[in-house]
Amino acid sequence: MNVTAIECYHCGLPAEADSPYHATILGKNRVMCCPGCQAVAEAIVDNGLEDYYQFRTEPAARGDTEFQATLGKLAMYDDPALQEDFVIDEGINKQIQLTVEGITCAACGWLIEKQLARVNGINQVSVNVSERRAAVTWSDEMIHLSGILKALKKIGYAALPFQPDQHEASYQNEQKQFLKKLGLAGLMTMQVMMLMTGLYFDLFGAIEAETRQYFYWVALVLTTPVVFYSGSTFYLGAIKAISARTVNMDVPVTIAVFGTYIAGIKSTLLETGDVYFESICMFIFLLLLSRYLEHRSRHRATQISANMMQYIPVTAHRLSDDGKVEPCLAKHLAVGDKVLVKAGETIPVDGRIIEGASAIDESMLTGEFEPVLKETGAAVFGGTVNQQNTLTIEVHQQLKYALVNQIIRLQSTAMANKPKAAQMADSFSRYFVVAVLAISALTFAYWTVQGNNEAFWIAIAVLVATCPCALGLATPSALTCAMARLNKQGILLKRADALEQITGIDTIALDKTGTLTEGKFGIADRWFADPTQAEYLFNVTASLEARSEHPISKAFSASESLAVSEFEVTAGGGIRGSVDGKQYLLGSATFTQADPSAVPVSANVYLVCNGECLAAYEVTDSLKSDTAETLAGLDSFQLVLLSGDTQQNVDKLAAKLPLAVATGELTPQQKYQAVQKLQAQGHKVMMLGDGINDAPVLASADVSVAVGNATDIARNAADVVLLSESLSTVPALVDIAAKTRRKIRQNIFWALGYNLLILPFAVSGLLLPWMAVIGMSLSSIIVVSNSTRLLK
Amino acid sequence: MSIIYVLIPLAIILVAVALGIFFWAVKSDQFQDLERQGYSILFDDDLPEEERHQQAKTQDKANNDNE
Repeated sequence: MNVTAIECYHCGLPAEADSPYHATILGKNRVMCCPGCQAVAEAIVDNGLEDYYQFRTEPAARGDTEFQATLGKLAMYDDPALQEDFVIDEGINKQIQLTVEGITCAACGWLIEKQLARVNGINQVSVNVSERRAAVTWSDEMIHLSGILKALKKIGYAALPFQPDQHEASYQNEQKQFLKKLGLAGLMTMQVMMLMTGLYFDLFGAIEAETRQYFYWVALVLTTPVVFYSGSTFYLGAIKAISARTVNMDVPVTIAVFGTYIAGIKSTLLETGDVYFESICMFIFLLLLSRYLEHRSRHRATQISANMMQYIPVTAHRLSDDGKVEPCLAKHLAVGDKVLVKAGETIPVDGRIIEGASAIDESMLTGEFEPVLKETGAAVFGGTVNQQNTLTIEVHQQLKYALVNQIIRLQSTAMANKPKAAQMADSFSRYFVVAVLAISALTFAYWTVQGNNEAFWIAIAVLVATCPCALGLATPSALTCAMARLNKQGILLKRADALEQITGIDTIALDKTGTLTEGKFGIADRWFADPTQAEYLFNVTASLEARSEHPISKAFSASESLAVSEFEVTAGGGIRGSVDGKQYLLGSATFTQADPSAVPVSANVYLVCNGECLAAYEVTDSLKSDTAETLAGLDSFQLVLLSGDTQQNVDKLAAKLPLAVATGELTPQQKYQAVQKLQAQGHKVMMLGDGINDAPVLASADVSVAVGNATDIARNAADVVLLSESLSTVPALVDIAAKTRRKIRQNIFWALGYNLLILPFAVSGLLLPWMAVIGMSLSSIIVVSNSTRLLK
Repeated sequence: MSIIYVLIPLAIILVAVALGIFFWAVKSDQFQDLERQGYSILFDDDLPEEERHQQAKTQDKANNDNE
């Protein structure tokens, strides 16, 4: 074991061997990596919950170092006006669903339940580890919501209310319905099979007619709930399709099930003819199983994206007429209210500056991180961040009319205009179903005319043999496997059919800042007058920058920080300060009076001492390390850059990358129109973006991908969410989409081939219904196992 | 063979009971989280303090031996 780098006992991240943070756990002194982990570990031990460490299977999430600051902010969740959105009031008790960050294994679930159970006022806690959620019921007289969140924070879990997806509740319900239907069909299939196998083995006719009749009656009783309850999914689907004047796979399924069932009843009553109850049960069970698998994979994706939609309310400091400052929620602000916004705070609503001037980070609206200087009288927008000075703002629009919300509305219109996916399998199977129905009807007619009294069973055999079960499984099973595979690689699909659409894509539209680039400043190039002094000069620069609040300063980090005196900032210009007795000027060429032509690099930050330029840096938003490589791998597509940044910056970047078109200075509306124009020209567009300004364009593209660091609103609009910030998974996504399409084709080919092969046997009456069921099941199994090869 | 006239209905009743339990389990969210409950048994909340420490030590020793 390495002595210098040991693991933090709590979170498993590397810790210094001489780390000052320790805690006694399970009777031994353990090293911690940070005060956050230490505080969490101590809280767990103090509460007598040490068992957690004994049984956990994964290390915990890292403790929050700025613990106290976070605790203070939680109080705002107690506001009743805020709570009405997500708290269920049950009279004395209140109930809430929380997403809990930091749940890593089942032991976490135990720890949270134990910890909360001993808090006074909490009546019930149940933690769902796989969903990473907790449902808490509490009595509001004894404890407030913030108290519950604090109790969780103390043991290292960040819990927040979230906005569940609107479909989620119905998904949950359907999930339970499916389980019940499946369970019933499965159990009954076993029973009926048992009885029928007994009859199959009656080769010598030793079973008396009476016993045989008895078995049929029992099988009929057992099959009835399967037909009416478990199978109802298909009949409802068939009715829906027929009332919409179309047919789907549910139609022949319904006909086959009811045909067989009614004929079975008839034979049982008349004590003559064939009975195929076991075939019905197995048929319904297998079909249901495939539907259930498809449903579950879709459910998983929506759940993860709902967890991401955490509910963080915007608060504001309202300035009352007598000069007092009171905190309130942004949604309570009225037009004309005065609001105080300190440095580093988010501006709560749209308004106008009436006092002060500051640099404002509008990246969440425009996607550009470079702050915009705003002075008294300038308009500011809700959601943007005040970077430097305290501002007083007069509200001129209520929260619901804020620019952010207007963009969200634009997004929903775009969503409605989205080109509909032509679902290959679906439209295909419609023709197939029509053919199946026609062939069965013809077969029945032919054999009836021929005077064959088996005509009905032959027609049923045709229906079952050609049942598009395998065909129905062909697409969902391949999609499910592909989604599981993509999840493992950190790609989340919110819509399974997006995969099918990806294969048709010929154009990829990209956002610049935050998608192709890091979305923050980095040093692209540097130059030193005296290269031997490079390290010292860089440290001087970094030490000066360390005192500055400007976002450019974050690009510099010193290897050794030097003492700075006589420090002074000129807004929009640069920094003046003394290091080791020498006075330096650091900043733009005009501020430092450096001569840009004397420097061999295209710099924008200069270090000047006594009128002599000592160092120069080019500080820009740098490309993500793998962007160039990733784009090179996507050369089969037409790459289009749509950015809100200046055309000059866009051109500079475009020169380095294989882009077909690069357009800058676009508003969210224009981006959306640009993609629509491409679509009108017949292109299929995939859009990659991250900011709020990308939300409308994401919603309108054929396939939209939100990159890892994307805003919630962009994620909400996207079909695919990349969990990592890097774009390197995009080629994998395209590749797997192509593979999936190939698998779907193979599956359909096989399913069809089998059906065509078996058709002559069924039509000619050689195939009995039970053989048809077994053949159909085998065909389905082959399709599913072919799909699972996508997992590897 | 007349025994099957008793046994089969009996089997049906048992299946009905099993189904009843299954439906109840689905309804009361027993299938919501299949990871978590399996671990509950591991947490011996009822062990006295000393014994628990004893256990922890043996486990630690095993861990150290592995390293």
